[in-house]
Amino acid sequence: MRRLLLPTFAFLSLAAAAQAADASARVTLKGPKGEPVADAVVSLIPLDQPAPPAAPAGRAEVAQEDEQYQPYLTIVRTGTTVEFPNRDRIQHHLYSVSDAKKFEKPLYAPGAHESVTFDRPGVVTLGCNIHDWMVAYIVVVETPWFGRSGADGAAAVSAPAGRYRIEVWHPRLIDAKTRRPAPPLQREVTLGADGWSEEIALPLAPDRRIRRAPADKSSRY
Amino acid sequence: MLRFRRFRSRLLALVLGLLAATLLVTYLLVARANRSNAIAHVEERLSGALKVFWFSVETRKQALADSAKVVSADWPLRTLYLQEGELDRLTLASTLASYAERLNAPVIAAFAPDGEMLATTEADLSNEHCGPFRFLISKADEEAMEQNSDFAYLRGRLHVLTVVPLYAPRPNVIGWLGVAFPIDDRFAQNLKETTQAEVTFTSGPGEDTQRVLATTLTADMARLVAENGPAELTAGGRVAEVTVAGEPFVTLFAPLELLGDDPARITLQRSLDRELAPARRLQRTILVIAIAALVLAALWAAAAARSVSRPVQELAAHTRRVAAGDYSARLELAREDELGQLAAAFNQMTAGLAERDRVRDLLGKVVSPEIAAQLMQSDLKLGGEEREVTVLFSDLRDFTTLSEKLPPAEVLALLNRYLDRMSAIVERHGGVIDKYIGDAIMALFGAPVAAPDAAARALAAAREMVAALADLNRELAAEGRPPLQFGIGINTGRVVAGNMGSRSRLNYTVIGDGVNLAARLEALTKDPAHGASIIVSESAARAARELDALRLLGTVQVKGRAEPVRILAVDA
Repeated sequence: MRRLLLPTFAFLSLAAAAQAADASARVTLKGPKGEPVADAVVSLIPLDQPAPPAAPAGRAEVAQEDEQYQPYLTIVRTGTTVEFPNRDRIQHHLYSVSDAKKFEKPLYAPGAHESVTFDRPGVVTLGCNIHDWMVAYIVVVETPWFGRSGADGAAAVSAPAGRYRIEVWHPRLIDAKTRRPAPPLQREVTLGADGWSEEIALPLAPDRRIRRAPADKSSRY
Repeated sequence: MLRFRRFRSRLLALVLGLLAATLLVTYLLVARANRSNAIAHVEERLSGALKVFWFSVETRKQALADSAKVVSADWPLRTLYLQEGELDRLTLASTLASYAERLNAPVIAAFAPDGEMLATTEADLSNEHCGPFRFLISKADEEAMEQNSDFAYLRGRLHVLTVVPLYAPRPNVIGWLGVAFPIDDRFAQNLKETTQAEVTFTSGPGEDTQRVLATTLTADMARLVAENGPAELTAGGRVAEVTVAGEPFVTLFAPLELLGDDPARITLQRSLDRELAPARRLQRTILVIAIAALVLAALWAAAAARSVSRPVQELAAHTRRVAAGDYSARLELAREDELGQLAAAFNQMTAGLAERDRVRDLLGKVVSPEIAAQLMQSDLKLGGEEREVTVLFSDLRDFTTLSEKLPPAEVLALLNRYLDRMSAIVERHGGVIDKYIGDAIMALFGAPVAAPDAAARALAAAREMVAALADLNRELAAEGRPPLQFGIGINTGRVVAGNMGSRSRLNYTVIGDGVNLAARLEALTKDPAHGASIIVSESAARAARELDALRLLGTVQVKGRAEPVRILAVDA
């Protein structure tokens, strides 16, 4: 029932943003070697006007399918409840140790599902206690104006003209000096009628995700 | 046995033969020592490689066991094991896959406490295949072991298996984790990289045909190695030389005890050729040096032989010339060595021979050839022997008067002419001129060489002398010179013959009564009463067997003799 409602909410929120939007912030994201960076989160936090009221409690979903979290990156507004259905053949053990939301959903069976409401902004890394290669990110933001970069590293966010703090985050973003996972990059920008655009270089850590072979693991030996 | 006629060939053969034999023996000894060293070295390396194998198996086994102990304590694994209802084997299998990633373990399997296999990362590994794991679990369970490992076949492939208990919490064993890694071609290759030895694992002699389980060799070579393994093996293994694809390999076979199966075998090999390569390079160098030495020795020997044989050939040619009587040549060898000394000695010898020849020639002229020959043969010493000799004495009559009328040179020429003819006749009849005494001739018959017909020869010579004097007188008459007259006395008697004189100068002559008598008989020819130019004693006539034929002149009393001597005249 709730799942069916989801597209409707999403449509409504987009429609509201479109009404007010008359400017576009465009960033092109590059990695340490100048490569385009996909799956980076770009959000605009208004500085002059209060943030628009929270949208009616939204819903999102991160499913467990074929021993993977699907999707890899999810951006939600504060207060959103995320569903974690198990659509796999086997059990999974969902957990988060991130400050934004710590929770654990021990081994739960195929067909079952869990849900968690994210009430604080921040980044939540999802893991599976029995499958090291399963990972997903939920980025909780306090603004309706956000977007993500595509394969070309470009991200565009439309918002009413005004002053904003633009925040850019990526799962591999690190502090260039300490080499530690870093909070989002922040910058103040003024969004005029003709919009704003810039190229931003991101200090990124190497990708340490475990890559599962596409074929069945048992064929290895 | 080869025989070389020429010295050069012989020296060459000797030098080359000795050198070649020495070099060959040295070469063979070095080659053999190199080979046995190489084999010993390879054996050492191979037994080291075997230790490396055991060590690497042990290390990897222990690392996997330690990792397995860590993951066996994983909370969700315990939770999964202890979930109510039937165990979720699919989730367990995917969890094991995650562990396999962490551990880098090729095979992980989870077992129930009784050893039943519940899940594994190896899809085609069924519970039936896990007998070796169950065996390890059962033993580890009974003996409360924290880990248990061994070699075993998993679906026919050689693996090292380890099991660790799954505690929830310790000491409650809720199951077992099994990890295994295969002894496969990659493992063999890794071992080869560490040990530089070819590595082959084969199934043991218990199986009808030996399977190649893993190898660094080609399949065909590995098959040969599998088939050539010894039937029985002790724990330390056995070393043999195995030829694979024409290449000799020093090969170490060692047993690999298996859990619940006949022992498998590890075979470690190193190519002997490769091990010997540096030694072979050295041997080739030695060979080149040896050949160079032989060539140099051959050249040297040829030169040395030539430097000897050439002067020797010259010496031989020279000797032939000397033998032929040519003493004039001199050997010119400008050498300081033995050959130079030999040449100098040879020259001295040639000079000596020439001197002796000259002396002998002169001796023949001074004394008669027979005496000269006897002097040459015998040692010169004083003293003599008593023997019967016929002595002939001739003397020119009135020669002193004649010589006063003629100049001395003409006297000497005439005398020599006379003596030459008379001497020739004496010698022709086997007589020996003992000496000339002025115009007198003393000749011996039967000395120094005894002759039975000495007296007859003397008489014949005397008769011919008379005839020859007549001839000479005719010549003298034609020259307008006065004739010569002489008398001859011949006696046969015992005398002492030998070398007489001082130590430094000797004469071969005869002395004694018989000699005096001959002189005395010659003097009697001057007596016209006898009317004979040749008078012989009775003993001479008898010795010549002419006693009856000759004219008896009577008897004379000779000085120093008690009895009178009968004398006979020989008519020419």
